Amino acid sequence: MFNIPKEKEVPLGCVTPAPVTEQPMMITGNWREYRPVLEPEKCDLCMNCVVFCPDACFQLDEAGEMVVLNEKYCKGCNICINECATDALTKAYELDFDDGVVRLEKPF
Amino acid sequence: MATEMMLSGCAASAQAAKMAQVEVICSYPIRPYSAIMMELSKMVANGELDAEFVHGEGEHAQLSVVLGAAAAGARALTGSSGVGVTYAFETYSPIAGGRIPLQMMIADRALDPPGDFGSEHTDAMSCRDQGWLMGWAETPQEAFDNCLINYRVGEDHRVLLPQFVCQDGYFVSHITGKVMLPDQNQVDEFLPPYNLPHPLDPKHPVSHGPQIRPDQGTIMDMQRAQAMLDAPAVIKEVIDDYNRIFGRNYSPFVEEYMTEDAEIAFFIMGAHTMTARHAVKHLRDQGVKIGLVKLRFVRPWPTQDVADALSKFKAVGVVETSTSYGGAMRGGNLLHEVRASLYDLPQRPLTTSFMAGLGGEMVPLKEFYYMADILSKAVKDGKTKKTVYWVGFEAED
Amino acid sequence: MTVAVKTQNLPPIKLIRNVPKEEYYVPGHRTCAGCGPALQYKLVAKAAGPNTIFLGPTGCMYVANASYLCTPYTVPWMHTQITNGGAVASGIEAAYKVLLRKGKRTGELPNIIVMAGDGGTVDIGLQAMSAMMYRAHDALFICYDNEAYTNTGIQTSPTTPYGANTTFTPPGPAIPEGKTLFPKDPTQLVIGGHPAVKYVATASVAYPVDLINKVRKALNVQGPTFLHIHAPCPKGWKFDEAKTVEIARLAIETGMWNMFEWENGEYRYQFKPKKYKPVREYMKLQGRFAHLSEAHIAKQQAFVDAKLKTHGIRVEAPVPTPQAH
Repeated sequence: MFNIPKEKEVPLGCVTPAPVTEQPMMITGNWREYRPVLEPEKCDLCMNCVVFCPDACFQLDEAGEMVVLNEKYCKGCNICINECATDALTKAYELDFDDGVVRLEKPF
Repeated sequence: MATEMMLSGCAASAQAAKMAQVEVICSYPIRPYSAIMMELSKMVANGELDAEFVHGEGEHAQLSVVLGAAAAGARALTGSSGVGVTYAFETYSPIAGGRIPLQMMIADRALDPPGDFGSEHTDAMSCRDQGWLMGWAETPQEAFDNCLINYRVGEDHRVLLPQFVCQDGYFVSHITGKVMLPDQNQVDEFLPPYNLPHPLDPKHPVSHGPQIRPDQGTIMDMQRAQAMLDAPAVIKEVIDDYNRIFGRNYSPFVEEYMTEDAEIAFFIMGAHTMTARHAVKHLRDQGVKIGLVKLRFVRPWPTQDVADALSKFKAVGVVETSTSYGGAMRGGNLLHEVRASLYDLPQRPLTTSFMAGLGGEMVPLKEFYYMADILSKAVKDGKTKKTVYWVGFEAED
Repeated sequence: MTVAVKTQNLPPIKLIRNVPKEEYYVPGHRTCAGCGPALQYKLVAKAAGPNTIFLGPTGCMYVANASYLCTPYTVPWMHTQITNGGAVASGIEAAYKVLLRKGKRTGELPNIIVMAGDGGTVDIGLQAMSAMMYRAHDALFICYDNEAYTNTGIQTSPTTPYGANTTFTPPGPAIPEGKTLFPKDPTQLVIGGHPAVKYVATASVAYPVDLINKVRKALNVQGPTFLHIHAPCPKGWKFDEAKTVEIARLAIETGMWNMFEWENGEYRYQFKPKKYKPVREYMKLQGRFAHLSEAHIAKQQAFVDAKLKTHGIRVEAPVPTPQAH
């Protein structure tokens, strides 16, 4: 019998639970160099940023009135800025933000 | 009521699969196992068996199709022979590591070159490190029984391993023998419905097989090793149940024949065991103290049972119908595992190996007498002259 | 023996605003920033909905999505070998047919979708893909085409364009263009040779509404269907990751990527520009073409021109290849 601590066990047959709304075991927000910044007054809800984000990081808020960025996962690819129909999105250097994530953490 | 029929190993295997109510079958033609698929396709076509019969595009595909089917929640069956078995090789570890208990029936066949149809154990034996259960049948009856036994063991939640259920090509697969076919209710009592812990089902989403971290590799391997450590107890339980329900008399791992006061013995598996039994009986009639030990499971290798069975002899001849070129004994591979099983004993028998039946050749009685002679001489000399004899192709020893 | 079990009718959408809100490919995967394949995966998952099983042959959309011990798929998903996506999907479909027939499962046959890269579709995965199409399994085979074996560090695949710099086709004095071969056409391999296939289409991340509608149409069809989706790869093609969608659009505008549906023996071409831009405009934005001379670019243009000439009719001749130098 092997003495494998419970927390080190690999799930049987390598079958893992499916995520529901996000996958917190792969947080990617600490990748970005540039953060997309939204000027809500310019936004006409064209939904390009929501649709074109490979990481599903832009979503309509609860009220359905404005798009909101998921900063926990945004990788800073800037596709949203490139595709924004009204120039409501611009990019800002991540480290300029007080809550800017540092890219020196271990990746996982 | 059980009915008695004369069936070939292939026909018997198909009957077993039918009674196990397999749900997805994937075929690809290669001799000699194809006969199993031909029988099954008839059963599906005339409504005797409600299963999906999928024509795979190759052996690698066969294993892939049944992997998907078994992962989705269906009892799945496939099979092959010879180079077909080795063509599918990529799939064996993913299936075993994924703990998907599907069954592959192998009617073994010599590997190319050059396309010999004859039986050799090498095809399946080459896969013995992949983490599947594996064992050979001696007769069509045993081929039938092993199908049901292996489904039950493999699908047990304490094991969850796929199974190579092997039989000698031609000698078992195509020669008929007496087979007692049970009643369906007996089979239903023995074999519960297929029940995989986390099947692919949109109602209960799971992810099968994401990457693991490098530091988890060893742990994954240890967990797979654990399954092989847990399997023997389940095999014993299942064989007891099988014997009870179907009136058979199998011992789980090794079967002894005329070993009571034997000084020398054959260690053998598969079809040629039958001839060996006759040889042992004839030699006994001439006063030779000889017996036979038959191996039923190559994986998990029953180390203790082999040691217990063989330790009482003075010399053991391991009959090999497979090759392991460049291996430690320069012969087959059974001898390696036999010697490993005997290594820690305070008193070990002399062991040597006999390459016999390769290329699908018969192993006639006189070759067993030859082997017995060598073993007797070894006992007299107190040592073996060689560790491997290519029987029928050597000058007199 | 088979029973018609698919009654679903996933509806088409009209506008980007109508793209379904629910995510079935959620944030939290290790794909590159700006990954084209990840974007198409998200859209495909939205289109298919919750009654779906994905197969992930080895490739970027396996490894990058499944590191480590976690995935972004909210629906059931299984890894397959790069060789056998089509075969494993076939087995799942066969299992569901018999399980539904026997009453061991209830409801609709799930959408079964193979998400294979170009290598897993037309190279090492070709045999299994073709067999799935031939055997009439009710499943969708998607080739997300990022035109290389990218997960292993960008190596050439049969869909890598002529002249591309990959780590197996580096340009040098002996082989100035890098890749000398012209690519296979996955849709042509499927169309016409597989009698059970009723619908084949190309799509692109540049046109998400069209992509979603084509996925839904393919899933509504009872039987095997094939989608070839253009998914630019910033790392492999060497362009600024913000431009993934822009590059995909430009591919269509230059004719390097063609948008069409093939249904009941007929082609319907879409998004055809009135006037095609020269391929140079597409190629100059990508580092993988930076080493090419005018002569090479001309060869690329000739290849595209020949392909465009056949719009609307079946390709009869094999794809043209220039003389060896």
